Amino acid sequence: MDSSADAFAPPEAGWIAVSPRLATARRVTLVLVYVVVVAGGVVLALAPLPVVWLVVYVVAALAAFVWTWWIIGRRVRSFGYAEREADLLVVSGTLVRRLVIVPYGRMQMVDLRAGPIDRWLGISTVQLHTAAATTDATIPGLLPADAAALRERLAARGEERTAGL
Amino acid sequence: MMQPRRTSPLSPLVQAAPALPAAALFFVGPGAAIVERSGIPFVVLAVVGALIGYAVFVAVAWLAWWRRTFWIDDDGDLRLDSGLVQRSARRLQLSRLQSVDIVAPFLARLAGLVEVRVEVAGAGDSRIVLRYLTRAEADSLRGIILQVTRAEESDDAPQPEALAQVPAGRLLAGLLLRSVTAGLLLATILLLVVTSLSQGPAGLVLVIITGGLPILSVVTEFLGNYDFRVARTREGLRIQRGLLSTQSRTIPPDRVHAVSIVSPLLWRHWGWVRVTITIAGVEGDEVRPDVLIPVAPRDEALRLLAEVLPDVDVDALPFESAPSRARWRAPLTWRSLACAITPQVIATRSGRITLRTSIAPHARVQSVRVTQGPWERRFGLASVHADVAPGPVDVAGRHLAEKDVAALAPREVDEMRRARLRG
Repeated sequence: MDSSADAFAPPEAGWIAVSPRLATARRVTLVLVYVVVVAGGVVLALAPLPVVWLVVYVVAALAAFVWTWWIIGRRVRSFGYAEREADLLVVSGTLVRRLVIVPYGRMQMVDLRAGPIDRWLGISTVQLHTAAATTDATIPGLLPADAAALRERLAARGEERTAGL
Repeated sequence: MMQPRRTSPLSPLVQAAPALPAAALFFVGPGAAIVERSGIPFVVLAVVGALIGYAVFVAVAWLAWWRRTFWIDDDGDLRLDSGLVQRSARRLQLSRLQSVDIVAPFLARLAGLVEVRVEVAGAGDSRIVLRYLTRAEADSLRGIILQVTRAEESDDAPQPEALAQVPAGRLLAGLLLRSVTAGLLLATILLLVVTSLSQGPAGLVLVIITGGLPILSVVTEFLGNYDFRVARTREGLRIQRGLLSTQSRTIPPDRVHAVSIVSPLLWRHWGWVRVTITIAGVEGDEVRPDVLIPVAPRDEALRLLAEVLPDVDVDALPFESAPSRARWRAPLTWRSLACAITPQVIATRSGRITLRTSIAPHARVQSVRVTQGPWERRFGLASVHADVAPGPVDVAGRHLAEKDVAALAPREVDEMRRARLRG
């Protein structure tokens, strides 16, 4: 297929990728979830049930773990953003691909946040809000300095654009 | 200008009326024991109990009535003082009058009373409801208010001009023939036939759901949208509707973010459509209107649409249709899927049984989204969404050719910027 047919074609400047630490953060969360899953397995092992149940449980849990581990890597690599002159582009997703284009003039608020695991690993998330609830412009996995700078730039550009009204 | 006066002395009787059944129920519970011991008939007990309860509520409402006065002061403001212990004084600037409505709720009508609602433009204290006045009092009060308003305005304001009205018969027919309602009612009839033939009671439970839900929704919507009227006022389109209680709402044209023209299969024979609408929210706003007209001939609906979205020719939108390979992704609806961009608006079309055309002005679109699921990717399709303020309208061009989407998305972003520059 020629490039003009690609609805997700990168802008001239290309996509800026997010930090691979995001994958680490999500894998840490995955491991934490699996603490509960393993606990469930222990209960199952102690329960007076046929062994086949336990085997099925372990195989399913392992398969889900490996698959999620792998898909986290792909998803994190799929994130990208680009600041153009008048708008911000955010691309994400592997199975379902998404591209969001938000003109700076439509931004109402720029959020900067980081959960405990994010802070520990040194990454944060920038999210743009418009008057529409369906606008889904979230850039996770930014280094704190980059995130703060990005938010400042976005806020400044937003003011510049709305001031022209 | 006008001496402080009270609402009609019958008001407490009406206001306390909802307490009657509650009081009756309250006395029925403990009453059972008394019935057994004293032999007082059950009905007598219920009635007496209800009357005592009612009397208490009337007494409270009477005190509130006695302390509630309204008048128009020398500045031309409508004032309302009320409150038994905690006094409250409200004041409406009549120079910003938006509407004076006389409404007759069901119970008040039985006592020959009406309710007067006065609304002014602007946030905050913008509304006073006077419960209840006699018809004559209400008419004279409205006369005085309009006179005050007119005195303050040099040019005489144009009277609201009626634009559309929905007859009760059409409303009922329209509600019954909506796709989901008609489908459920049909399913109910089939279930009833099957159950009566097989003589098994199992289906009856389902019948209650399939029959009950649509009937409930038809009744609610019928009561809510009864006598639906749209008029043009200085502030925008005014919508009045309702049977048991009347609602009056004004739609300022600059707050319309998106509209949708909905046409269910069974309506198309008469060429009826419904128009839903997304109005931008304001903090602390009451329920916003989301229907511009519940059921109307297409021409009439389009005339109303032109009031809120001028310069848009709905019948001449340059739609880009989904390619025929979209049938593999949307076997039922692929024929109608389309998206159009004009200098003023972005429009999308979808649905088969119920056709929807959604339109949003570029100046109101907040962001553009492109999405592609695995199945879409397999057939070289993609979807483009124009994100608008939360509401009933969803502007999405689904399952279009990916190369069309690759052109439509940047074009919409361009138009959004241009609309912004125009202001």
